[in-house]
Amino acid sequence: MIKIHIFLVGLIVFGLSANAQESKNAFPDSLSFQKELVRQGELSGLEYRISIDISTIPDSLQTDSAFLFSKSGQVWVSKTYSDWSQSEKLISSLSIYTPELEYLVFGKKADFTGAETYFQTLIAAGDVVLGAETEKSGDDLVLMASRDSYQPISEGQFGLFLDNKFFWVFVITLFFLVTAGGMIVFMLIFKNKRNQRDEQIKAYEGMIAGPLTSLLFEKDLEQINAMTIGDMNEIFPIEYLKKPLFNEVMINLLIGLNKKMKGDFKVKLKSFYKKAGLVEVTLANLKSGDWDKVATGLVQVNEMDLVELLPEVKKHSNSSNFPVRSQAGATLLNLSEKMDLGFLVNQTYPISEWQQMTYFRIIKFVHSSKELEIDQLFSSENQSVRAFGIKLVRMLGRVDLLQNMRDIIPIATEEEKLELLRAYQALGVHTEVDFINQSMKSPILSIQEEAIQVAGALGNKASVEIIEELLKKDPDFNLKKLLLKSLFQLDKDEFEVFVKANEEADIQAIRAHILDPILQNV
Amino acid sequence: MFEKLELVLLNSDRLVYLDSNKFQITHSMKKILIIEDDLLISSLVQFRLNKDGYQTIVVKDGNEGIEAINTKDPDLIITDVMMPFRSGIEIIHYARKNKPDVPVIVLSSLGEEEEVVLEAFNLGVVDFVPKPFNPNELAIRVRRVLK
Repeated sequence: MIKIHIFLVGLIVFGLSANAQESKNAFPDSLSFQKELVRQGELSGLEYRISIDISTIPDSLQTDSAFLFSKSGQVWVSKTYSDWSQSEKLISSLSIYTPELEYLVFGKKADFTGAETYFQTLIAAGDVVLGAETEKSGDDLVLMASRDSYQPISEGQFGLFLDNKFFWVFVITLFFLVTAGGMIVFMLIFKNKRNQRDEQIKAYEGMIAGPLTSLLFEKDLEQINAMTIGDMNEIFPIEYLKKPLFNEVMINLLIGLNKKMKGDFKVKLKSFYKKAGLVEVTLANLKSGDWDKVATGLVQVNEMDLVELLPEVKKHSNSSNFPVRSQAGATLLNLSEKMDLGFLVNQTYPISEWQQMTYFRIIKFVHSSKELEIDQLFSSENQSVRAFGIKLVRMLGRVDLLQNMRDIIPIATEEEKLELLRAYQALGVHTEVDFINQSMKSPILSIQEEAIQVAGALGNKASVEIIEELLKKDPDFNLKKLLLKSLFQLDKDEFEVFVKANEEADIQAIRAHILDPILQNV
Repeated sequence: MFEKLELVLLNSDRLVYLDSNKFQITHSMKKILIIEDDLLISSLVQFRLNKDGYQTIVVKDGNEGIEAINTKDPDLIITDVMMPFRSGIEIIHYARKNKPDVPVIVLSSLGEEEEVVLEAFNLGVVDFVPKPFNPNELAIRVRRVLK
């Protein structure tokens, strides 16, 4: 126990300035501490004495027998007191000599902080129990504050940000919040603008519907054609006709109505489209740098029969943009006076199956009323265009173009050869049997298979010989089936002879399949 | 328009309006309910039928159509098939059940779809006008139905 006390004294006396903070927490000021000392009475290891400067004591008092102070250096010191209240009484009686209180911890002099820290240690060790709640007087704080000028401690307030982890967490959180906030703001602005646009469109639709309806019923075509800008402005104020959104709404309404109307209403709508100056809007779309606007313009030309814009449409027929190219082609086919396939001849991009289907639907719909020069497609350097030309010959039954087709055989690709074979079969062209026989020997399986099937319908004796030669090479089952089927179609006797001479199970199975009446068309 | 007109009752279902310049024969004010979501189409049909002297009520979706059948007591219903909230087929069902005497004409771009046409006729519609259509032709069909 004594050792512990000695250690504590060492800590206190030789500078426990760090503990000062803790003692301040328990006793906010010296008065509170002194009151507690009064309450405690005697404390183990803690004593008090009074010191008075030697110069302040008169000589008469020094010689007085009742003066019990002893001299220590330049001061008079009293005897030690173990009770705080006794030393306090002495201080009061000698107050005129400005006495000073000294704390002694285990006999060694200590300052106020050291005494207080020792007292705290006693509390922490359980040797002393605080008598009652300390009272804050704050008196000496006020005194200290009046002596020292106030300096705010600002240094180190952003020290937290020097921590790397905290910094990155803070940056990421901030980034997330800013991004999320930005997105919300953007969304609100975007939605608001879209709502405003939708409302504006509805308002314009309401403005257009009534006058347009009256115009369509009350004016005949000649009257619409004779309308001047002034007449138009009476129906739709010029300030509206200058607004892009108004024009867009009107165009959409006219195109929509054109699709749902028939009879003279359609003609009136198209005439009105031109009179309202909407052709200029379409032209601007066609000349736009945005592909979606160009495509919209092409649809407008197509739907409203704006033939005067066909030269501009033709410029887009070889566009690098697929939808634009397709729409331009469809528009040219639909509207050109003489169904001009010329735009396809110089097409540098391959025509997709979807495009071919679209073009064919238009051609099939209008070709009876327009001259169709398919032969020019065979002069194209684009093999997909030539193949499309062969398909057109097959599907439109243009036997007058057989010679043109024959001319492309030397340069024909695999796809073209397949199309030629299909065309010959569909049109029953027996005159091209040499090409068919030659194709049966093709190293390309797809051409060979197609040629074998076509030979069944269009072949000759030479075809039979080729088939027998191919069968002798023991081809795979599928090819064998095709060959036997064609042989059966061409010469039934030869077929039976071959089957009897070859008793392999697969040949007999194919024969049974071919001769089965139920499976004949399977 | 008819402020200075002299109203002459000719018979039970026809009125003749006369003024100093021209006269117009109209039908007695038969009420036609037009259920169509396309503003321009409904506007054209309404204009054409008003011109023939019919009173028209235009609604733009199936729900409003059902409400109008109940509250407006129409003499004829012209309805589209593809509409918001309720289809034209639902409208026909409802009309057949609740107003069996009111004829229904269907006006639809689904005219080429056989199933829709057959279903509509099976439900008892009196006519089916496919889009694209001519409003004058529709007016003739309306006149025939209401005769």
